[in-house]
Amino acid sequence: MTQLFFTAIAQVLIIGLVVGAGLPALFALGVRSMAYGAGGDAETGHQVGHPAGRVAGVLIFAVVLAAIALGIAIIVSSGFGYKVSFEHIVPTFIEK
Amino acid sequence: MDVSLIILCLVVVTALAFDFTNGFHDTANAMATSIATGALKPKAAVTLSAVLNLIGAFLSVEVALTVTNAVINIQDKSGAPNVALTADGGFTLLMIVFAGLVGAIVWNLLTWLLGLPSSSSHALFGGLIGSTMAALGVSGVKWTGDGSKLDGVLGKVVMPAFASPVIAAIIAAAGTWLVYKITQGVAERYKESGFRWGQIGSASLVSLAHGTNDAQKTMGVITLALIASGQWTDTENVPFWVKLTCALAIALGTYLGGWRIIRTLGKGLVEISSPQGMAAESASAAVILTSSHLGFALSTTHVATGSILGTGLGKKGAEVRWGVAGRMVAAWMITLPCAGLVGAIMFWIGNGIGGLFGTLVVFALLCGLSGYMWWRSKKAPVDHNNVNEDWDRATPETQVPASAQA
Repeated sequence: MTQLFFTAIAQVLIIGLVVGAGLPALFALGVRSMAYGAGGDAETGHQVGHPAGRVAGVLIFAVVLAAIALGIAIIVSSGFGYKVSFEHIVPTFIEK
Repeated sequence: MDVSLIILCLVVVTALAFDFTNGFHDTANAMATSIATGALKPKAAVTLSAVLNLIGAFLSVEVALTVTNAVINIQDKSGAPNVALTADGGFTLLMIVFAGLVGAIVWNLLTWLLGLPSSSSHALFGGLIGSTMAALGVSGVKWTGDGSKLDGVLGKVVMPAFASPVIAAIIAAAGTWLVYKITQGVAERYKESGFRWGQIGSASLVSLAHGTNDAQKTMGVITLALIASGQWTDTENVPFWVKLTCALAIALGTYLGGWRIIRTLGKGLVEISSPQGMAAESASAAVILTSSHLGFALSTTHVATGSILGTGLGKKGAEVRWGVAGRMVAAWMITLPCAGLVGAIMFWIGNGIGGLFGTLVVFALLCGLSGYMWWRSKKAPVDHNNVNEDWDRATPETQVPASAQA
């Protein structure tokens, strides 16, 4: 039982770190990207960020949103007797 | 009207009442941080959370009929109740479930009065363990399972309870540290609006996950009671009205909002900012979803509290009020035995008197105790108006766990 327990903990911790800390970090990168070229902490000017930064920012936010959508898909599908498989890297729904 | 039918109705009503307390006890887990940082207005936050809980409850069509199997032996693997317990028209089994639910509700209300976030699933399991021990003795409880998987009181309740807050705290601390590191030097206006949206999104995910996880526990308990009294025979499905009423009960409870607990989690533990709130809710959502996917049973409350504590550890110079954290941990440790004790006493009273009258006495006790605690709460009300009041400068009455006056 102890071994099962530590395996479970390790799994939750590793996946949790990747998703639970990684996604906020990615999101922060998106925020940083949006603000690229718009001045720092002092906030002297109110000019808009550099267009390249904005494009990168939107892309990053899209990745975060996709990850959340995947999370919701996992909850919903398990309720309907399906599970999400990563076997072919692209997530697909398979019957349990 | 048949006597056993009246008893069954009381059990169903009590189960829905538990579901309701489960909802308002756990609003804080998802929404405390968004309310504390002002990302959402208090009323808007509880409404959003309620709607997502309602949706979540309907999304979880998986049969949760065997929910009691985690800790006690009153059902077989298919979910059918033990034959020995239904020989008397299901009275013994109904009384076990009923007394257990009463124990869980009483403990949930007491911890709410004290503003302490404690686990509703621990309260439910505790109450059921207590009433089962009173009815069947120590052997009625599944302490460790057969060792082939994490099971029983030890594997499904005790061990996860110690691990989950620590895991959540580590992840939230790492997330917070990264977020602050990455956005160092970025203009404040970008951070504020960006992280507010991040926070609302991550908190919504926690609400949805809560609805899918917790509502089905009550659905399982009610269906078990229906089977025990011969009103339902299908162990593969939950009646639709059960699903509907459970979903509504948990959503209504969430909407009412356990403001006292929201206040403790949002303001009492750590002074929280938007980036921290987002990191905390993302960590909670990730841990809850990963664990339920892996079949590792844990409590939303323990995870959410650990995450919020973790964001305090991950931000340089943030203050964690360890006194408040200590009181929470103390409450967690005694949740199971306390709910169990109430459950056991209720079983002795109900079964001792017996029949319809015994059930009515227990129900009256539940109403009396609940009414008393509600009345006590009115002496120092915490609602959507004062939920965000400064913690240190607040009057001792609204700094709920610190005064612990009840």
